[in-house]
Amino acid sequence: MTDFLQLVVAGLSQGAVYALVAIGFVAIFTVGGVINLAQGEFVALGGLVAIWAVGSGLPMLAAAAVAVVIVVGVAVGVERLVVRPVRSMTTLTSIILTLGVSTALKAAMLLIWGPDSKGLAPITGGQYTVAGVTVRGQELWILAIVAVASVAVYWFYDRTVTGKALRACAEQPVAARLVGISPGAASMLSFTLAGLLGAIAGVLASPLYFTSWDSGLVLGLKGFVAATLGGLVSVPGAIFGGLLLGVLENLLAGYGDSGLRDAVAFVVLIVVLIVRPGGVFGRHAEARV
Amino acid sequence: MKLRTRWSGLATALALSVLVAGCSESKSTNNAGGGASTGPVKMGAVLDITGAGASLGVTERKSIELAVKQLNEKGGVGGRQLQLITEDNQSTEDGAAKAINKLVSQDQVDIVLGASRTGPSLAMRPIAESSKMPMISLAASKAIIDGSQWVFKTAQNDAVVIAQMIDLAKQRGWKTIGLARDASGFGEGVAEGMTDQGKSGGISVIRIEKFAPDATDFTAQMVNLRSANADANVIWGIPPAAALAQRAYRQLGIASPVLQSHGIGNQAFLDTAGASADGLLAPLGRINVADQLPADNPQKKVLTDFIDNYRKAYGGEQPSAFAGYGYDAVNLAAEAIGKAGTNKQAVRDYLEGVKNHVGVSGVFTMSPQDHSGLTKDAVVMTTVANGKFTLMSKPG
Repeated sequence: MTDFLQLVVAGLSQGAVYALVAIGFVAIFTVGGVINLAQGEFVALGGLVAIWAVGSGLPMLAAAAVAVVIVVGVAVGVERLVVRPVRSMTTLTSIILTLGVSTALKAAMLLIWGPDSKGLAPITGGQYTVAGVTVRGQELWILAIVAVASVAVYWFYDRTVTGKALRACAEQPVAARLVGISPGAASMLSFTLAGLLGAIAGVLASPLYFTSWDSGLVLGLKGFVAATLGGLVSVPGAIFGGLLLGVLENLLAGYGDSGLRDAVAFVVLIVVLIVRPGGVFGRHAEARV
Repeated sequence: MKLRTRWSGLATALALSVLVAGCSESKSTNNAGGGASTGPVKMGAVLDITGAGASLGVTERKSIELAVKQLNEKGGVGGRQLQLITEDNQSTEDGAAKAINKLVSQDQVDIVLGASRTGPSLAMRPIAESSKMPMISLAASKAIIDGSQWVFKTAQNDAVVIAQMIDLAKQRGWKTIGLARDASGFGEGVAEGMTDQGKSGGISVIRIEKFAPDATDFTAQMVNLRSANADANVIWGIPPAAALAQRAYRQLGIASPVLQSHGIGNQAFLDTAGASADGLLAPLGRINVADQLPADNPQKKVLTDFIDNYRKAYGGEQPSAFAGYGYDAVNLAAEAIGKAGTNKQAVRDYLEGVKNHVGVSGVFTMSPQDHSGLTKDAVVMTTVANGKFTLMSKPG
């Protein structure tokens, strides 16, 4: 039982990181039907910028702020320079475009920061043992900050006018434009949100899971799988999907073969696409992927 | 339209002339590759510069470049300059196979160094054998050289490191061992080696856990090691994975002593593992404890010179054990080519007969049966104290 709980705890903290990536996918997809494959790179970039900032003498909080500013800047740049100029964007076009962006970002990170894996110092070190289950301080921080971010994102979409405008773009793009919501502004806002979440995920994950120029790929894929659990349009679905994926991975690694850890995400993806292509939590019956 | 035809005619003529020039040039290098005695000696290196093996490959590239520069400043090898061609295999097996194919058929090098890790080295071996290309691997597993004709290696065999671990187990009375190993080639055969060598002392491996070289969370493996409750546990991997596993080991409060392999012999491991590394035991090459060696150690001078030169060349950075593997490979290759020329058969035969070559990783004495040339004397038992590798057993 202790072992089981230990695996679940570790899975939840890893899953929380997937959840943040997944919300980023959802934020962008709902507005313009764009699947942003560079979402994982936003996470790696956030981590690497923060590590670099701490290394050049900034305190942790300032480094995190620098990471957020730079990643959001890159995300907005991607939207302006790559997504916006395309006249008739389809989901397939967006996948190809952002795959290119992802490769370019990886190459840039490799050139700037080199090939080594690095980690940040945890926000608070130390660990707590309750009934034989060890929880790292950083894991509590991850869970707490992801919870706050999730509630904030939910509140933004549900309670603020801007958030409602974004949802309007997603559900009725023509009607949204008729009532004066600019699809361009909405798209940029969604990338800002995705960049912000990516940077936060990068800073939070780095102390435990380390960051290197290529660590975004796997995170992005798993975040994408978590997002499909919500049909790519549901924020609560994305959060639940992320946590579920993290826990499943750890349980399989613990009780089955640890080599199969990375296979979990893809098995889940296949099952979801066959059984419920609209997502486990999707409101739409038809496939949107 | 007319204009366009004329231009395209010109372009075709140009392309043709380039092609012809290209052909004649490649023909001339063809002769050089076949053991000519003029022009530069071409040395190819296939390294894990990006990907999971980056913390090895990057320093290896630095030490290889340093060694080549030193040799060229001294007048090269047999009066000819060394030309280095480095390829990044991205820490993948297929990348390594592609890279050695390119070096053999396109660059027509005289000798190949690499790869950094066992998996990619094993992928290169059949190509080296079939094209009769001398190759010096920088990786650990004995499988790379077992029964090979053309492949040699500089890293200490996993078998000699296991031998040191088993010696320690006998000394301390450990009977059961739990193992968490790299799932790639580096970790293959470790459990079997321990079972074999431990048999005489009644030592057995009771639990085997695996992790991917680029894994980031080790809770699952360490939870299982904790449940197995062995007398001692061995983590067999390279940084950053080995360091993250070390952290998880301490985090879960596992009481048994923990041993690590010689895959951790660099500063990146110590930086990443931090305080969790304190107290671990690891058989390492002497480069990690060079400052603690007595002055009469045969390797002392080679080690001190190498460390000084490397630090001078790379802004005070401390060279790792992996840097040493690269440095030794260049020097072994240079010695062989200097004595035997670039005839590949002669180079191979010379390497097989190397005796008492004092290198950074140990004193090499090769034989037809042993293309590694290092015994268990090439590694010494160390422990980590205050974030530093510290010589543990009898000095020397």
